[in-house]
Amino acid sequence: MIEQAVAAFVQEAQEILCELEELILGLEEHNDAATVDAIFRGLHTVKGSGSMFGYTGLARFTHHFENAFELVRAGELSVDRTLIDLSLAARDQMVQFLALGGDGEQTEELLGSDETTGLIDRIQSLTLAASPAVSKSAGPRPGSASDAATQAVSGQRETFTIRFHPLPDALRNGMRPDLLIRELAELGQADIRYDLRDMPERDGSDPTAAWLTWLITLETDQGRSAVEEVFIFADDADLSIERTEAEAPAAVAAPECAPEAERAGAEEKPKAPGRIDGKSENIRVASSRLDDMMDSIGELVIAQARLDAVSEKLGNSTLDAVVEEVGRLVLGLRDATLSIRMLPIETVFGKFRRVVRDLSNELGKDVRLVTRGGETEVDKNVIDRIGDPLVHMIRNSIDHGIEAAATRTAAGKPAQGTLRLSARQEGGEILISIEDNGGGLDTEAIRRKAVERGLIDAEAELTERELHQLIFEPGFSTADKISSVSGRGVGMDAVRNTIDSLGGSIDVMSRQGLGTRVTLRLPVTMAIIDGLRVRLGRSIYVIPLSAVEECVEMDQAETGRTSGRSVLQIREHVVPYLALDRIFGLPPSTEARRRVVVVCVGGQRIGLVVDDILGQGQTVIKSLSAYHRDLPGLGGATILGDGRVAIIIDVATLVRWAEARHNDTLSKVA
Amino acid sequence: MKPDHADDTASMLLIFRLEGESFGVSVDSVQEILDPQDPTPVPNADPFAYGLINVRGVVVPVIDVRRRLRMAPVDRKDTTRMIVLEHEIDGKMTKLAFSADAVDTVIEADLTALEKVPDLGASWPQSYLRGAIRRDDDLVVLLDTQTLFAPVMQSTAA
Repeated sequence: MIEQAVAAFVQEAQEILCELEELILGLEEHNDAATVDAIFRGLHTVKGSGSMFGYTGLARFTHHFENAFELVRAGELSVDRTLIDLSLAARDQMVQFLALGGDGEQTEELLGSDETTGLIDRIQSLTLAASPAVSKSAGPRPGSASDAATQAVSGQRETFTIRFHPLPDALRNGMRPDLLIRELAELGQADIRYDLRDMPERDGSDPTAAWLTWLITLETDQGRSAVEEVFIFADDADLSIERTEAEAPAAVAAPECAPEAERAGAEEKPKAPGRIDGKSENIRVASSRLDDMMDSIGELVIAQARLDAVSEKLGNSTLDAVVEEVGRLVLGLRDATLSIRMLPIETVFGKFRRVVRDLSNELGKDVRLVTRGGETEVDKNVIDRIGDPLVHMIRNSIDHGIEAAATRTAAGKPAQGTLRLSARQEGGEILISIEDNGGGLDTEAIRRKAVERGLIDAEAELTERELHQLIFEPGFSTADKISSVSGRGVGMDAVRNTIDSLGGSIDVMSRQGLGTRVTLRLPVTMAIIDGLRVRLGRSIYVIPLSAVEECVEMDQAETGRTSGRSVLQIREHVVPYLALDRIFGLPPSTEARRRVVVVCVGGQRIGLVVDDILGQGQTVIKSLSAYHRDLPGLGGATILGDGRVAIIIDVATLVRWAEARHNDTLSKVA
Repeated sequence: MKPDHADDTASMLLIFRLEGESFGVSVDSVQEILDPQDPTPVPNADPFAYGLINVRGVVVPVIDVRRRLRMAPVDRKDTTRMIVLEHEIDGKMTKLAFSADAVDTVIEADLTALEKVPDLGASWPQSYLRGAIRRDDDLVVLLDTQTLFAPVMQSTAA
């Protein structure tokens, strides 16, 4: 039970820390109150829950950080680069605290480390400079220990009137007012009274609710900050601390002194690990449960296809109507389930701001990241896997693409480079592009390298586009020197493999001196796709509809050969084609009327010759086993309405494999 | 009641026939036995794993056991059945199916009595066999599912 609560805290804190990074970076671009509030709230939550779940080290550190943002919120501290740098560093330090897994020796060590105390020092020097109230009690020089404020004692005896009123939920959220009051009493001479006016009249009121108000007069030489420190973690309470001139407060009307023990008894009740702000309308679900659900929906879709086939055969109109109704419901259920798995791509984009910031610092380049379309939603499984490839491409852009400021200025470009990251949906596909306004790909260097590596012939005539695609070949890198960032040539082919395995494709566009744009096309989801069913001999294959441009009759297209390739003349366009029977090693088709499915691969149109086109429909993708996983051109399998298995064609790998195997496969049809 | 402990020596075997000979696999891995089905051919696949069938909504690869055992292909008979097994491949439990000329029975066999497969004039590669046990007048050849169903053929097969 408690472990679960702690685990929930850790997960929540991780999420908050991720968000914090984004928010802080967002603040740098756009200083608005909402962002400051969000940062403050995040810190507040981590601090509060942290102290509750045995992460007091984290909480103590966060406290200082939170102080700073409280001042920002109050307009007393301005947002500048120093604050952003410091906040990012502090946020990273919080990640470290969290990673230590709760209080212990290591946490103490980290808390006392130069890094931590240095950060606290720097935060405090900001907050002290900004807040006259704090600097008064803390003395002229900020201390270096985490509880510097407490140690910097004013030495002067003061009297405070403290009114402390926990909110009704506070006890359920784990607050222990008795301990707080005891701690307070240790600071000096305390006179403790209670105010019971908020207590409901009726008996049997909820014993886990907090109704009591404490009224404390404290005489202490520890200073105001020491008093405030006691209540650091008491978030769910109204608190007022007033300095009085050695005079006892007369504010307490009709104080009924309830025995403290009686109240304390109520507090001992087991408390639900409530959320600190209790405002979440979201449910956190393990993604494996969603996967299971998606599997069931997949089965349902297949069963639905079978039902369709049966009802069509029976031709009963009453049955038809029900089947249609069920079909509609299944579709709705599918879409609803898919939408649960959809996340805005902003969740990955956010990570990149930090990457860009750190990298431009490291490489001494001034690069601005502009993101667009972050709200575009993508299947979680896709999101999980495109992070690394995107980071790699961003690194490439900053390292190789964007030139040094001096070079840029000399070329008449703005000294600051721009990296644009954008996403948008187009049909069943998500297009993500990474665009820089750097020097563009050096086609001559690529050609030289490709010849050197034996990827192309020295005499080979390649279009600019074909040359650009070579950067995705294994072991290809044009960087003359290897930097820590990129240039080992292990990247782009890995990027392409990942994108391939997701059923997507990559396209590069580059203009010398102006910049490069890499566009990724990814399916919105990997579980269910719209597919075109085609027939080859007696077998049925499915081609993802997202890749299909058009379908034509084979005999309506003229065939011919251009520069060694077999091509079709479709209206005014010349389109190379692949005969699937040959590619798949099937006996040559003897059918008279064949058809061509024109697909688009890497921006190029290619015809796939099939015996017949049967129709389109939802296709549940089943992955292939170890026996067939590595076969080129196969994207999976699916089960058709009649229960038969059909192979799903992966158009991109099929075309690439066919072209690589022998150019001659792009050849004449039987 | 026998205590529930792993017993290496006694094992339940499913006995089936290929080319008139008796073969056995451990019952534990057997999922079900189906009437023969027409597999969907997988283009460019190793002929050893030539097709896919649908077993209750799961796409299951069909393995040509005869091929690995160097037996000639046969046509489907009335007694032909497909045996569906679950087998670990690359650390992942994978269902697979193969055809047998006939499925006989399930027997309890004492695996300590496992002996070397005598030379029956057949050229079954030894690496796919665990050994043979006597059953009445019959000889049951126990198959080594680890090597027999490995996606990549063992080069030691001789």
